[in-house]
Amino acid sequence: MALTSHPLLSALRRNPTGAVLIALQIGITLAILVNAAAIVTRAIQKMSRPSGVDTRDTFVMTMVGLSKNFNVYSTSSADLAYLRHLPGVAAASIVFGTPLTDNGSDTSVGRSPGSRGPTVTSALLPVDQQGLRTLDVALIAGRNFRGSEIRVPSAAHPDPRIGEVIVTQALAHALFAHQSALGQTIYVGSHTPSTIIGITRNFMGPQLGQHAYDTVLAPEIVTQYDMYDLLVRTRPGQRAAVFRAAKRHIGTADPNAVIGQAVTFAHAKRLLYSGLRDLAIFLSFLTLVMLALCCLGIFGLGTFNVATRTRQIGIRRALGARRRDIVALFLAENALVVAIGAIFGCLLALAIGQWLTDHDGVARLDPWYLLVGVAILALTSQLAAWQPARRAARIPPSVATRTI
Amino acid sequence: MIGYYLRLALRSFRRAPGLTALMVSAIAIGIAACIVTLTVYHGMANNPIWWKNGELYAVTVNPSTPNRTREAGLPAYGPGQLAYDDATYLFGSSIPKRKALLTFLFGSISGAPDQTRPLPTMTRATTAGFFRMFAVPFRYGGPWSKAADRGPEPVMVLSGRENHKLFGGADSVGRTLLWSGHRFRVVGVLAPWHPLPRFYDLSAGNGGAFARPAGAFIPFQWGPVLGDWPAGDLSCDTHGSSTTPTTYQELLGSSCTWIGLWVELPTPAAQRHFLAFMQAYAANQRAAGRFQAVNTHLWTVSQWLTLHHVVSHRSGLLVNLAFALLAVCLINTLGILLAKFLRGAPVAGVRRALGASRRQIFAQHLVEAGAVSLAGAVLGLALSAAGLAGVRLMYRGSSAAYGKFAHFDAIGLAWAVALAFVSTIVAGLYPAWRIGRRAPATYLKSQ
Amino acid sequence: MLEMHNISKVYRTDMIETHALREFSLQVAAGEFVAVSGPSGSGKTTFLNVAGLLETFDGGTYRLDGQDVSGLSDNARARIRNEKIGFVFQSFNLIADLDIFDNVDVPLRYRRMKADERKARITNSLELVGLTSRMRHLPSQLSGGQQQRAAIARAIAGDPALILADEPTGNLDSLMARQIMGLLEKINSMGTTVVLVTHDPELARRAQRNIHVIDGLVADTVAPSDPAARGPHGQTHAESAVD
Ligand SMILES: Nc1ncnc2c1ncn2[C@@H]1O[C@H](COP(=O)(O)OP(=O)(O)O)[C@@H](O)[C@H]1O
Ligand SMILES: [Mg+2]
Repeated sequence: MALTSHPLLSALRRNPTGAVLIALQIGITLAILVNAAAIVTRAIQKMSRPSGVDTRDTFVMTMVGLSKNFNVYSTSSADLAYLRHLPGVAAASIVFGTPLTDNGSDTSVGRSPGSRGPTVTSALLPVDQQGLRTLDVALIAGRNFRGSEIRVPSAAHPDPRIGEVIVTQALAHALFAHQSALGQTIYVGSHTPSTIIGITRNFMGPQLGQHAYDTVLAPEIVTQYDMYDLLVRTRPGQRAAVFRAAKRHIGTADPNAVIGQAVTFAHAKRLLYSGLRDLAIFLSFLTLVMLALCCLGIFGLGTFNVATRTRQIGIRRALGARRRDIVALFLAENALVVAIGAIFGCLLALAIGQWLTDHDGVARLDPWYLLVGVAILALTSQLAAWQPARRAARIPPSVATRTI
Repeated sequence: MIGYYLRLALRSFRRAPGLTALMVSAIAIGIAACIVTLTVYHGMANNPIWWKNGELYAVTVNPSTPNRTREAGLPAYGPGQLAYDDATYLFGSSIPKRKALLTFLFGSISGAPDQTRPLPTMTRATTAGFFRMFAVPFRYGGPWSKAADRGPEPVMVLSGRENHKLFGGADSVGRTLLWSGHRFRVVGVLAPWHPLPRFYDLSAGNGGAFARPAGAFIPFQWGPVLGDWPAGDLSCDTHGSSTTPTTYQELLGSSCTWIGLWVELPTPAAQRHFLAFMQAYAANQRAAGRFQAVNTHLWTVSQWLTLHHVVSHRSGLLVNLAFALLAVCLINTLGILLAKFLRGAPVAGVRRALGASRRQIFAQHLVEAGAVSLAGAVLGLALSAAGLAGVRLMYRGSSAAYGKFAHFDAIGLAWAVALAFVSTIVAGLYPAWRIGRRAPATYLKSQ
Repeated sequence: MLEMHNISKVYRTDMIETHALREFSLQVAAGEFVAVSGPSGSGKTTFLNVAGLLETFDGGTYRLDGQDVSGLSDNARARIRNEKIGFVFQSFNLIADLDIFDNVDVPLRYRRMKADERKARITNSLELVGLTSRMRHLPSQLSGGQQQRAAIARAIAGDPALILADEPTGNLDSLMARQIMGLLEKINSMGTTVVLVTHDPELARRAQRNIHVIDGLVADTVAPSDPAARGPHGQTHAESAVD
């Protein structure tokens, strides 16, 4: 081993530019790898947030009226009667808004009237009595709406008052922290005082972003906008069949109405994270390509170096170096370069991380990523250097005596 | 001499085919990554009506927040759309050369021959100025008159797609159709028109920046006349005090925003004039107690696109990453070329002894580096075409932006050429210089 | 042809300075055949490198073909090497991946000659050294003697006025060596000046003048032993060779 330390430095000194270039490459790759890994990990964490609803078997059909003869209440009642009789349907409900999408209304909810006091921007999801059952969201406190509590305001008889509401656990927590929210009065849409009669498990309502879990459920059938949403949950595995049947029947049942849009929760969820997923995919892909190229570069240059130094290695072997001394020499050379690159890469990674924090609001880079990144790069680059090193070790001592 | 150098380069490649392949593919991958990300990025950052950038303005009125600069460096411009009262008042001004109100209605079209079922159609309710202002091309007929706006007259313009669905593409001008049960006369049919991004309507609730234009167009006032609720973005959060309107009359009187307003102001004088007009209106409204602030803005198309983050941070991130990848590829190539050239130094020494000047040795090696870069660029173009096709495949049938812009264009080609040039300079210049600088005798002796 | 006066050349490395040439003075007339000998490390190669403008020198004056060559640009030096000088090395220094034809072609390429003229010159010089049948062979496919003949063909292809040969026979057996020597004499007889560094006293004796170098200095000059062996002055040929 004493053999390896001195020639190592002299070899690097002979072509310092080459070594610097490899170190530079390793540094950039490390910096990108570390930051990309951090971004992708966070994206995966975000994507794996639970939706809280049955995404496999649920869909929403938006019905749109075409003329003045259209009556939301009667048409939707007929639709629901049809749906609830289908054998594959577990539950169906009329709502106004589509969970897991941006289609819906949001409103500000506070503990005091008007815009006094803190408010939470929350989604407002009007449902009928079957709403909770169709969403398949369990109550963790309180009760469901009673049939008598479901209001049906119309243009002729507007009724802006919301008496009872059910809120999600997240919203209850946002409003009342650790106090019990059940039975408390809240103000939905600034003016109407409402009583919380139930609290549900968290699920993603018809609002995206950071407030996705904040939803107020109101006992109301919305009739004044010439449109409504049918929320349908099927028995396991029946979604496709029910979806087809419903589309065929409901699409033609009332000549005054058409299906404006029909989305499954599965599709909505895919769409919800499509941006993040794409970012994660592209980022991972480009980073892996970069890592692969970096290793190929090390491999290529290593192979080339072995070819160039054949005679020198042969002389070394003739003078008594064992095969593994030669392998060790090459790997140690590579390790030294990687170490220099890793130091540079860590600094660059921190700088890029800082830039991302400043410009894109990405959370600060966790030093653990650096550690793991260095380990990965050290390992892969040693692997890349290994094959040329082995080839070098196979050079017979006899080349020393031959002229080339 | 170039021909001779090229022959020498070819020989040199043949001597180390693996290494050459590595260099060429490294450059190709780097260039392809840049072209793919840049093509998508450019598509998003595209201003489809750039030639009118200084003339077209989106109008915003923020009734509650004073004109303060937020953290992002953008003013608190408030909602991107206007309330009915504000929109119609500002629209009444005669200062703009052209102007348009915009909203979305959901309608169904029936009454075409052979039509069995009503055709659900997203319908743009707008005013006559829309078509000329946004340079909308017509296949048949033309826009309706300003008089038709006031009536409103039952006139309709169909998109090419809808006209194809309803009339098989035939000239349908003069035909009568039922729009949600009301009779409308077709006055015009559009030629294919799909500006990307859809700069005049970027709001997410209307489908976002990359949605298709509407299938039909009718005069704006039909919404109020029929009491047809807007089907697009409707935001009632502006004051934090109003309740959601429940009747159409309430909607018209409310401060909910749901109408886009665009004006064409060709001269700086007209711009100043209209801005003053807006400010006076906002000041009046504040005096009357309806507004809490005077904060009105005109936005050029490109400002409007920036304001709505049409170019996402994410795609910017990917472009940066692609360039970092290219940098790694070039450093890679630089290292290999350097090693290769230095190994060939004895031969260069012989050439120098035989009368090659430093400059000729430099040129010979630069040609070799250039050939590598050029091959890399050509392969990179092929790779990026494949990459773009891959992106298109990934987004087939989706409304996401990436798929729409993943088309090879002249910009991509220009980038490839530029990047090949840069590659030669970055990866080839230094090694060629190093080898050219070598004293000729150094390597002759050592043999 | 070649006039050196008090040339000095110092190699500097981090640790030591080597005075490879000191007050080195030598005149070689046009058409002369001069043999240079001396112990290893005495500065023979350095002298040839300086004479062939492969290296610069530190002091003294050097006129080549009547032209003062100190302070010339790299371009000008390359041009002189290309047009007036032909090199023959001990280790042949043929370019391994070019065949013989293309090797001989190299100096002509740098002279930007027309293709047909290049071709004529290449065939001529290969004919002179007797390698016409081997012109599409790679150097590795030839014997040492053939390789050196190819190198000589390359050196004379551009019709130089001066041939500088550094131990051209050092890697060859004596039969081959004599063959090469004969070739150089033939070239000299056509008017080209030849400076030959050699260890072989037998070969040195065949030159018109022997120079002995010791420690970077010209120790003594031995007059030609046999005036009759002097070749004719091929002035016309030498002149036409220059440009
Ligand atoms: N590039 C160089 N750097 C340092 N010293 C050199 C160099 N080239 C030659 N020398 C030294 O110069 C002296 C003359 O060398 P050289 O001309 O090659 O001798 P010869 O050809 O007569 O054997 C020697 O002592 C040698 O070590
Ligand atoms: Mg020597």
